[in-house]
Amino acid sequence: MYKFKQIFILDIINLATNPMWLFTAIGFPVALVLVLGFLTSGSYGNIVSAYDYAGVAIMIFCVFNVATFSSNSFMEERIKKPNMRLVHSPIRHFYIYFSKILASFVFCIVAYIAAAIFLVFIAGVNYGGVDAWAIILIMLLGNFFFSALGVAVCCILRSEGAANSILSLLFALFAILGGLFFPVEGLGKAVVAISWISPGKWILAACLRIIYDSDFSMFLPVCSLFIILSAAALALCGRFFKGEDYL
Amino acid sequence: MKTIIDVKGLKKSYKGKEVIHGIDFSVKEGEILCVLGPNGAGKSTTINIITGALRCDSGSIRYKGENIYNDLLGFKSHLGVVPQDLALYEDLSAEKNVLFFASLYGLKGEELKAGCRFALDFAGLSGSANDKVNTFSGGMKRRLNIACAIAHKPELLIMDEPTVGIDPQSREHILEGARQLCSQGMAILYTTHYIEEVEKISKRIIIMDVGGIIAEGTAESLKAGIERTRRYRIGVESEAQFDISGLLRVDGVSDARFKDGIIDISTDSQVENLNKIIAALIGSGLKINNINAETSSLETVFLQLTGKSLRD
Repeated sequence: MYKFKQIFILDIINLATNPMWLFTAIGFPVALVLVLGFLTSGSYGNIVSAYDYAGVAIMIFCVFNVATFSSNSFMEERIKKPNMRLVHSPIRHFYIYFSKILASFVFCIVAYIAAAIFLVFIAGVNYGGVDAWAIILIMLLGNFFFSALGVAVCCILRSEGAANSILSLLFALFAILGGLFFPVEGLGKAVVAISWISPGKWILAACLRIIYDSDFSMFLPVCSLFIILSAAALALCGRFFKGEDYL
Repeated sequence: MKTIIDVKGLKKSYKGKEVIHGIDFSVKEGEILCVLGPNGAGKSTTINIITGALRCDSGSIRYKGENIYNDLLGFKSHLGVVPQDLALYEDLSAEKNVLFFASLYGLKGEELKAGCRFALDFAGLSGSANDKVNTFSGGMKRRLNIACAIAHKPELLIMDEPTVGIDPQSREHILEGARQLCSQGMAILYTTHYIEEVEKISKRIIIMDVGGIIAEGTAESLKAGIERTRRYRIGVESEAQFDISGLLRVDGVSDARFKDGIIDISTDSQVENLNKIIAALIGSGLKINNINAETSSLETVFLQLTGKSLRD
């Protein structure tokens, strides 16, 4: 564990000392929620404000994007060369990719919680009050899954650039389809039906039901799905990770 | 001396094309084995196989007699690798880089600090230990690249073209350092395409090309192996007149030319005939001013073995 701890700490330092990633993890969600909340404030009623909706939906979109953090920390050029030494050193390959997954997960969780706290105080975003623990748990599990997914796709495609391009496109599609940028309910029954293809829609629906109806009916299925998908993503990392990809 | 690493019949293919064709070599304790080869010769692939980063298709690699794949992590803990590319965290200090990489070999506490001090001293970077790597010159980065590989004091150090693109001072420091480590008992496998480095640090040389070993031996034996013709350049009194045909009758002499007081003689290197040549010259009444025997350099050997055509 000593060696794993050393790698994990360095991966966290690499993430936390990059100003661009810090801004993307904290500044981007806050800015996006405030801008979207402001622009769509006329379209919402009194119970759910535009900031409430954007505060949850954009956070889910940000959870998707944890995959790009993990793929960057795994194979980004600045990191890739020194990571090559890890391949030569006497450590298990599992440590190399799992450390990146865990570091991206921890970094993003801390950043997103900071962003969420900021949004609660600045824009009064409702994260469920006493039920906020369930929202946090969904976000935690989602965060871990997407972190593992980013590394798994990198392992399969053997390129951080290709992984990011594909994942970014996919996430943007999921976000639009799942109503993460604006609600799709007003676009007709057909669009609403199609929107359930997007994982963003399930997560958003699960969160909104918990926050506004204390309805936990989707909580367990969503959490279970994230756990199963995380295990699958880790298995893919183990299957496809090759140290030589760093060489 | 104990054999540290013994490689036999190593083969590796990529996409159906064999890139390493069954190579054999060994490195002993306290020895620097230089692997010389042009780009694309297979040096880095061979190294990556030995470090366990790549798997070979067939053949064996034994560390002190044990197959490395029986305990790959155990083997790696005795191995230091200086990669061809700079493998450093640019935003961290030199010391933090060394401490981190040494900790991956299990070094902790005082042992870790001592290893770090040793490595930074070795690299001549003690004074810059707390400076960030991105403020370093190319030579300093190269030296730090080595420091990160030796803090755990490996028994086998693999240096893959460690002096690429650096100033002569840093290069000399690295070569001297390699000699020092070797004198302390470390076995070093050193790849390069700088021929002058090979002659400076290594007694035993392997020349690789297109995935195979095409020559092996000391610099002298390699030179002797390809030298078929020896050349003598003899300076005589410039106003002297001389009939060259007498020299051509000396056993082994294949060519002789006389111009402006210089006689150029080509002779079979296997025939010891210098005395006869001198006797022939003196017998012709010439006064000899000087005699130079031209010897082949390792570069001549290298180019003769690997050809002069450009590589991709």
